[in-house]
Parts: sequence; C-alpha cells; structure tokens
Amino acid sequence: MRRTLLVGAVAAVIAVSLSGCHANNKSAGSGQTKAKTGGELDVLSPAPTINLDPAKSQNLATSTIHLVLRGLTTWKESATEAPTVVPDLATDTGQVSNGGKTWTFTLKPGLKYADGSPIVAADIKYGVERSFAPQLSGGLAYHKTLLVGGDKYQGPFDGKELDSIQTPDDRTIVFQLNKASGDWPWIASMPAFAPVPKKDENIQHYGDNPMASGPYMVSSLKQGSTLVLKRNPHWDRSTDPVRTAQPDTIVYTMGLDPTVINQRLIADQGKDRNAISSSRVPASLLPKVLGNPSVEQRLATSPSGALSYLAINVTHAPLNNLKVRQALEYAVNKKAVQVAAGGAKIGGELASTLITPGIPGYQSYNAYPAGDTGDVAKAKALLSQAGHAGGISLTMLTQNDSINLAEAQAVQSGLTAAGIKVRLKPEDSDSFYADTGASKGDYDLAMLGWLPDYPSALGNIQPLFDSSQIGNGNFNVSHYSNPAVDKLIAQASAETDQSRAQAMWGQLDQTIMADAPVVPLLYARNAFLRGSGVANFFAPPYPPYTNMLVVGLSE
Amino acid sequence: MTQYLLRRLGGVLVVMLLVTAVTFVVFFLLPSDPARLSCGKPCTPGQLAQVRALLGYNHSVPVQYLEYLRGIVLGRSYGSGAASLHCPAPCFGYSFPQGRPVTALIADRFPVTLSIAVGAALLWLVSGVLAGLVCALYRDSWLDRLVTVGALGGVSAPTFLVGLVGILIFGFRFNMLPVNGYVAFTDDPAQWAFHLILPWCTLAFVFAAIYARLTRTQVLEVLGEDYIAMARAKGLSRRRVFVHHALRAGLTPVLTLFALDLGGLLGGAVITEKVFGMQGLGALLIDAVASSDLPVVVGCTVFAGLLIVLANLVVDLLYGYLDPRVTS
Repeated sequence: MRRTLLVGAVAAVIAVSLSGCHANNKSAGSGQTKAKTGGELDVLSPAPTINLDPAKSQNLATSTIHLVLRGLTTWKESATEAPTVVPDLATDTGQVSNGGKTWTFTLKPGLKYADGSPIVAADIKYGVERSFAPQLSGGLAYHKTLLVGGDKYQGPFDGKELDSIQTPDDRTIVFQLNKASGDWPWIASMPAFAPVPKKDENIQHYGDNPMASGPYMVSSLKQGSTLVLKRNPHWDRSTDPVRTAQPDTIVYTMGLDPTVINQRLIADQGKDRNAISSSRVPASLLPKVLGNPSVEQRLATSPSGALSYLAINVTHAPLNNLKVRQALEYAVNKKAVQVAAGGAKIGGELASTLITPGIPGYQSYNAYPAGDTGDVAKAKALLSQAGHAGGISLTMLTQNDSINLAEAQAVQSGLTAAGIKVRLKPEDSDSFYADTGASKGDYDLAMLGWLPDYPSALGNIQPLFDSSQIGNGNFNVSHYSNPAVDKLIAQASAETDQSRAQAMWGQLDQTIMADAPVVPLLYARNAFLRGSGVANFFAPPYPPYTNMLVVGLSE
Repeated sequence: MTQYLLRRLGGVLVVMLLVTAVTFVVFFLLPSDPARLSCGKPCTPGQLAQVRALLGYNHSVPVQYLEYLRGIVLGRSYGSGAASLHCPAPCFGYSFPQGRPVTALIADRFPVTLSIAVGAALLWLVSGVLAGLVCALYRDSWLDRLVTVGALGGVSAPTFLVGLVGILIFGFRFNMLPVNGYVAFTDDPAQWAFHLILPWCTLAFVFAAIYARLTRTQVLEVLGEDYIAMARAKGLSRRRVFVHHALRAGLTPVLTLFALDLGGLLGGAVITEKVFGMQGLGALLIDAVASSDLPVVVGCTVFAGLLIVLANLVVDLLYGYLDPRVTS
C-alpha cells in the first residue's frame, strides 16, 4: 500500500482554487495523435535509482519494470474506466479449485527470453521462491502471506523449494494457498511472478540486467544517471495483450529535480518534445501549466486516485461514541479541504466512500449528506445528543509539509464552526507514521492518504479496517475493531466470483461507514506532463500514474 | 614536526570515533525502523524479524556499534550461505533498499561531488581573491563599490535561487547550457565540463562573494600594519611590498577558509546537486533522508565528517608550516 501517496499527490496540486471547472470530466490530455512504431522515448525521472530485480520491486503492473518483465497476468487499462486483470504469460487469469485455495495457470506456448531460451513454469516458481529470501525482501509481498508454508520459507538459495508451488510440466504452475483468495489473479501480476531462470546468480546485481521476458531489455544501466532499454528480439507481440512496445528505445534519465523536469516539458524544446515526466507537476508550476492552453493540452490528469481521509481514533473518549463521530462526518467542510488541495480540477473530487472510483466494487453513495461545505447545525445537534452540547476538544496529527498542513487547517476550521476545538500536532513524516502506526494510538484524529497496490477493494478496505491491522506499524489508524466487519472482510477476500466479491466489498464499504471510523475527504488526482511529440499518454483513474506500457511517439 | 603530525592524527581518530558514536546514537533515536523499510508490503511480524536478524538489528545497540566499527576495519557479511551479502572493508553499512554497500554507493557518487566541488572551488578562489585584491588596491573607488555590491548579492542569494535563475536564463531563455544531468569525465571530458559550467558558476557566485569580502578586509588590514609602513619607508616598491609582504599574511585566513569550505563541499554539495540533477554525495544523503535509508544517512554523515576532519588537519599542518610556533 502506498502510505505516502497523499503527500506526493497533494504536492502536485496548486494553491489556488479551480473548483467547478469541468470537475468531473477529466481527460488524458488532448491533441495526441496516433502513436508510431520507432524512435526514442525519453523518460525524465526524479528517482535516483531504478531497481529491476522483480523480488525487490514495488512497481505496479503498468510501471517501468513491466517493460522488461512479464508476469502470469497483467492489467488492461483505459483512460477513464477501472482496469481489468488479463492474462500475460499465462493463457488465462487462472483456474481456481479447492474452494479458492488452489490456482492453476498454463503458460502460452513458445514464450522466450531475450537470449532465445524458453520460458518454463519452473522459472516462475523460482522467481516467486527467491522473493522469500530476506536478502531480496522489500518488494510487493502479498503472495508471501497466502502461499502454504510461506511463513517459514526463506528462499531457494540454500537448496530448499517451496512445496506449495508445483510445476507438473513446463507449461503448468499450481499454487496452493492457505486460505481462499479471489484476488490471486491480481497478485499474480506483481513483479515477483516474473520468470527468473534458475542458475547461479549474483543476487546483488541481478536487477542490473534481469533476463528479459517483456518487449525491452536493458541496454545499459548507470544508477543515478541513465537506464537505456532496447528491443527484446524474442518478444512475441501476438502473445502480449497490453504492451504496444512502439518506441525502439526508451531512455530513463534519473535523479532530476522535479521542477526542472516540468520546466523542460513546459518549454518543449528539442529532444524534450519526445519526453515524458514520471514526476507529478509541482504545485508551483501548475498556474503556468493551466495558464497556457498549449501546455495544458499536454497535461494528463487522473480522474481519481488516492483516498484522502480523516481517521478518527474510535478508542478515545469521546470519539468512542458513535454520535460524536457522526457529528464529525457532518461538521467537516470538504470543500475547504478541496480548495486547500488545489481545487476540483487538480486537487480531486469530494469523497464519500472508502472504495475509490476506478477500483472494481466502487459504488457511489453518501451516508452523511452534509453538502459540500458541511452541515454545522446537524453536527451540533448530534453532539448535543451525545451529551456534548458545550463542544469537545481533540488533537489531530498531521504531517508538517505545507499542503498537508493546509488541508488539516481546513478540517480544523470546519470542525471549530461546529463547536469542536482541534489542536493540530504537525510532525515530520517518520514521526507521523511511527505515531499513527503505534499500538497505543496516542491521538484523536489523523490526516492520511491511501492508495492500494492493486485495483481490488480488498486493498482499500482490509488494511484500514481489519482489526488485525491495528498497531505494529500497520494502517488501521482508527483502531477500528468490529468482529462482524472482520468476518465480512474474510468472506469477501475468499470470494472468487468477481462480481459477487465486488458486491460484498461495496456492502462492506457502507457497513463500515455506518460506524464512522473515518471521514472520506477527497479522491486525490495526479497530473503529469508530456512533450508535444508523445502519443498515448494518459493517467487512468487507477493507478493514477502514466501507463508506461503503451506510451509512444506521435506519427 | 613528526610529533605534531602524530598528535594531530591521534586527534583525528578520536574525533572520528566520536562522530561515529554520535551518528550511531542518533540513528537509533530516529523514529524510523530501517528493517520495516526493507521488509516489503505487506510486512508480517515474521518477515520483519527475518529482515531485522539479517541486518543485525536484533542485537543490542552497543553490540551493533562494535559490529559497525569492526565492519569499517574488517568488512562484514549480512546473512550466511550462498545468498549472504558481503560488504568489504571499509564497510559503512549496507543499504538494503538499494541493494549495495554504503561504501560502494559513496564511491559511485564521490566523483560527481568531486567534479562539482573542485571546479567550483578553483573558480571561486581565483575570482573571489582577485576581486578582493582589486578592491583592496583601489579602495573606495567605483570598482571597489561595484564589487562590494556584487559580493553583497552573492552572499545574500541562496544557492538554489542562483541555480534556478541560471537554469532559467542560460538553459531555457538562451538555450546555451545544459540544465541538468552529469556526464562522467571518462565518458566525454568536453561534455563533463559543459554540464558542469552552470553548477560551477552557481557555487562560485555564492562563495566568491565571501572570499572577495574576506580578501579585501584581510589585505587592507595587513596594509595598515606598521611593518608594511616600515617596508615602504625603507624604499621598497609598492608592488614588492604588496606581493611579498601583504599577500602572504593577508591570504593565510583565506586559505584556511578555503580548505574548510572545500572539505565541507566534498561531503556533498546538497542543494547544487539537487537543483542540477547530479547524483553526488549530497543527493545521495538527501534521498536517503527522504526515504529513511538510515545506513546511508549514517555512512554519508561519517564520510562527510571525515572530510571535514581531514580538511582541518590540512589547515593545522599548513599553519604549522606557515607559523612554526604552532608546532613547538
């Protein structure tokens, strides 16, 4: 999960209100022509390093590593709709049996690595196994808690195999899970499910030039400077449902200052016409971008994104009283928060749900219809019913950067109007997450953002509201514990029929909101710039980042 | 002199031990958990324990400190068997997120910082001292006032502002110079210098101002000394008095400051590197702080501390050379 996303998301918004400007009609940027095959695409990146080791990667399925590596499954995205999971190396998204505990995948025939050698099921198994080695931890690890024996297994480097992964032949791989999981097809799209040939490897340097199964392979890599990707001659376009692989070469320039990156793309000179930014547009440059139509048309803004929310510590008096929490739901002025975040056009839409638009299972509803600016009278009435007619005083944790502080102050102002005094406690990022992740929960309220690692309502709900996720650095910051909800989460997680699962998650969303453990504030947007020579550049509702697998150069 | 040198080297060792101890303690006072950072998502208590044991964070703080010192001298390994991660001496720790020993990261980044610092230092030393001398020689002239105003601007301007204005004017407005990126000297010396012109000029603009002011003040002060008047009274030419008597005494504090500034800058030209997208030690440190990569933070701090201490040593030795009374 991306706990820090809100910081980045809000850093990309402006300090002026642009609310009401086609707020619901986000586009991926106009003026794009059809993409051609060939040319060099330049990616300007603020990241100082790029790690292509699948075990250590937290890249999403449409990010850089998946230009080089393929998984069993991948994501099909569009500019406006929720993504779907589709087969990648496998022939389908998995055959489920044993009540959701056994998943079987069959590899497509004729798949090859960049050196021409065949990709076999044992390589997928080895790739997953090596991700269990403590030396290679740090990547997306959802499979580790689900595979039978995963809690004890420590990787293949001492000669041991993980018996819950079987490969009866070169094209079949079977996963045995310790509990039913309807999300396994999504999990099988993660970097650890990329094939890795089993042979002696220098584990410190495998990520410098991994065996390519995707359309590109590493031509050269200088950490802190450049990564050059060239075509993989053995990638077969007919086997790949999502990657368009149009540029001949993709060059990443690393460690650039985000302001300079976006200044270069605004200037749109020379080689930069064929460049894109992997850094959100900084707040300081948004007026310049939005004030120039020729630049604005090169801006891709995600229709949705991370959930920005106010966590309520339900174990602290008087917040252990439902009426008081409901008063908070009505008292918050979400419009003021939106203005602080940069307005509807860039900052994001007002939120009322836990599952965000762009995630399957999202259902639009509002359990606390208070209007955009809050309903102070209703909030006061609820406080009065709770026996706090004279008002209450609370402490709110927030991060101490300017954007988070501005949003916290907007919340504080709305609550004050309803007789709820709020003392802000701004902290640096490390202290903030140490305090909000601590078991003692020494705060009343906290401002947070949340984006799941894959488009499943499980990722929206379980980490924030399952009672097992309280404290120990986890993210149930509200300390919300409801056995009925825990049970429903377990049932929805185990449901392998996606439409039934989505209905269950949608219902869970409403069940949790009835207890009011959080106040949803915004569906935060991301905005990215491209050069004028770039085509097929968009940021979908989820994940709100550029889809690297389809970007190309204009004809 | 030998005894003096040995005494100073002993002092360096003590200071470095203190620097490592303080940095290490700060490391543990920070709220971040480096093991959790390296654990992946989601991170179960079992996985966290495995990573903690691998990195040695399961031991007490004194044991970890001793291991750290041992690693600097002898190197160390993380884990065992075929997949152990080896960190050869001098091992300043291991960056798990980056998958490399901190020493290797420092070695990778140091040439970038060295390129920025040495070029800029030469530029600011020459321009700053020359400007200061001109001001001293032509005191209260329009030239003196012009340089003084320019120096005031340089002293007052933050590095990032000067850098960004330079980028705006010479990069975007006139498209004369590259605005970011670093080319290794070994890859293309011409491009190396071309990409470094703006960072050099940015740092030189800021630092030269200080040197111009200092040189002017020092030289004027020396020129007012009795022995200078005596030399003039004995009939020595103005030029000879200035070059042979005033300069040596006047520039000694400037050289002291130069050694310390250069030592500090070699530890990481943080702002300049970030503004110009150059991945030197400063950028490494800032990125490590932002991502809570604490072994890198500790390693860079200790390395930067070492450079400062060495710069001080050089200054002390220079003083010893220039003024033998110091060594006695």
